[in-house]
Amino acid sequence: MSDPDRVSLAFIWDTASPRFNRRSFVKTMAFASAAGFVAACGGSSNKSSGSSSGTTSTATEAKVLNFYNWTDYIAPDTIPNFQKETGIKVTYDNYSSNDELFAKLTAGATGYDLIVPTDATLVKMKHGNLLQTIDHSLIPNITNLDDRFRNTAFDPGNQYSIPWQWGTTGIGYDKTKVQGTVDDWNAFKLPSVNQKSSYLDEARDAFAMALFALHLDPNTTNDSDLDQAKSYLIDLKKTIKKITSDYQDPLKSGALILCQAYSGDVFTIQTDNKNIEYVIPKSGAFSWVDNMAIPKGAPHPKNAMMFMNYMLEPKVGAALTNSVNYGSPNKAAFPYIDKSITSNPLIYPPAAVLAKLPFQKDIGEAEQKYDDRWTDVKAA
Amino acid sequence: MPDWVSGHALLLPTTIVFLFLLIIPLLVVLQYSVAHRSIYKPIVFSWSHLHLANYTQALNAEFLPTFIRSIAYALTATFLCVLLGFPLAYWIARFGGRLRLFYIVLVIIPFLTSYLIRIYAWQFILQNNGLLSNLMDHVGLGANHDFTNTHFAVILGLTYGFLPFMILPLYASIDRMDKSLVEASYDLGHGKASTLFRVTIPAVSPGLVAGILLVFIPAVGDFVTADLLGGVRTQMFGQIVDGQFLESNNWPLGSAMSILLTLFILIGVFFYLWRVGDEAL
Repeated sequence: MSDPDRVSLAFIWDTASPRFNRRSFVKTMAFASAAGFVAACGGSSNKSSGSSSGTTSTATEAKVLNFYNWTDYIAPDTIPNFQKETGIKVTYDNYSSNDELFAKLTAGATGYDLIVPTDATLVKMKHGNLLQTIDHSLIPNITNLDDRFRNTAFDPGNQYSIPWQWGTTGIGYDKTKVQGTVDDWNAFKLPSVNQKSSYLDEARDAFAMALFALHLDPNTTNDSDLDQAKSYLIDLKKTIKKITSDYQDPLKSGALILCQAYSGDVFTIQTDNKNIEYVIPKSGAFSWVDNMAIPKGAPHPKNAMMFMNYMLEPKVGAALTNSVNYGSPNKAAFPYIDKSITSNPLIYPPAAVLAKLPFQKDIGEAEQKYDDRWTDVKAA
Repeated sequence: MPDWVSGHALLLPTTIVFLFLLIIPLLVVLQYSVAHRSIYKPIVFSWSHLHLANYTQALNAEFLPTFIRSIAYALTATFLCVLLGFPLAYWIARFGGRLRLFYIVLVIIPFLTSYLIRIYAWQFILQNNGLLSNLMDHVGLGANHDFTNTHFAVILGLTYGFLPFMILPLYASIDRMDKSLVEASYDLGHGKASTLFRVTIPAVSPGLVAGILLVFIPAVGDFVTADLLGGVRTQMFGQIVDGQFLESNNWPLGSAMSILLTLFILIGVFFYLWRVGDEAL
């Protein structure tokens, strides 16, 4: 780490101790609710002092950026270099699922300036009026985006967001420990993975696995389809070990040998443990795009847009992808991305495979059907 | 100022703290528990549309196994804490000599480290290829044991986590107890076991009751221990409540569950205190 004293405590903990990851961090935050209270006070007093003194909208922001991102989802030098370049101090916190991010955001002012929701969650946040639009004049590098990400269905014309990375939700497994073929979701039923597998602690992802396996619409809102999927997941609970989004370390160490997993996570684990493989299940899987966005009421929106612009620089974007092993939306970054990544069909699937990898749809209030059944699955 | 006024003024700080940090938040939880949810806003409340269905949903039989499991875990952990804590507290109070305070500090030392980090340490010890598994391998008990995701692991974590809460009040009680009572019991012909159950335990019962409550109440609502040491078969009720807030975005249901759990514990505690009697305190 080149300039560690400028990096906030949370950031140091996160990179130095990957064990202290997503979900647990959120739990610590829950315990340290006093700290959250102080932070909230700080945020609001910042804002009020800004409005009382600032007569124009271009009043300069404090050199602070509160960044809330997924764990293990950034290059080691992304934040230190940004701090060096701009003098903006970045506070870096982590979450482990979209559900958590959304729950936190709906609960009220979080003080965060920059978040990285996945496409369907982004739409949900837009509908919930939780995001602010971004000013493209502050993000000249937006032209570096791949055309595919300039006019997406979830955010036409990048009004609210700039893509961060994209990938798929498939299966990560240890090829030396799993006996049998792993090419579809039914690999969870292999005898050799009994009590050694996990699926994601995220309602829509877990249900999608069941719906794909049952050859039903992964975005269904049909009650009987969802009941079937619920039974499938409850039945699967008998043979899995854990419902968790923190599968990275257990998969690396062998505590888990087959996990529903996000593609890039598995490729990152591969650099430490060559026996870990990723597979896109035959019957289909979700693909997704994570996007940088700015919550309404963020105290430092301009700093957030400066960060968006920074991420779109070719070398910065390439460093991110080289580090986290997901697909990059940054076209200008391509020449700097490792060939092993750009030529990997699991990271950049061919068109025929992509066709079987739908995006998660925003289903509005029907989401509650998933939430309720998810509670039943967890309690069962 | 008359004495009785200045005397009661001592209550003022705690009254304020209680009002703002306990009573008002509890009323908010009560309000949430009869509110509606929506996808975009966790709470939609109106006096004209109180949503009591949250309670019927919270009482859904599907949650019953998890609820019973939580009670069973907490009771077992409490029992183990008494079993482990009593001899230690007794030893420190009676045989600790001049180092008594030092031993008490040793009991408190784990609190200097975050509970979460200590439970992660247990994860390292109990997991597949963890410390315990490797140790068993070395002494020829076979390799690749995985103790996580078992009732044993969760109860162990709870017992470990809450043991000091048992030891401290017990120590205070035993320390204060009149030693001559024990001698009198021996003089009157009682043996060691009889003295323990008929003299010592009744004499230290205030500490015992306090310890049991201090361990059982937080243990039954705990969710971190089961989350980190357990798995799909060790779900505790606290995790379900936690999930309503952090995952399923159903605050009204989570609030209704919390209220019901609080009521259940209150009734249980009153029943327990009524059974053990006032004189125990």
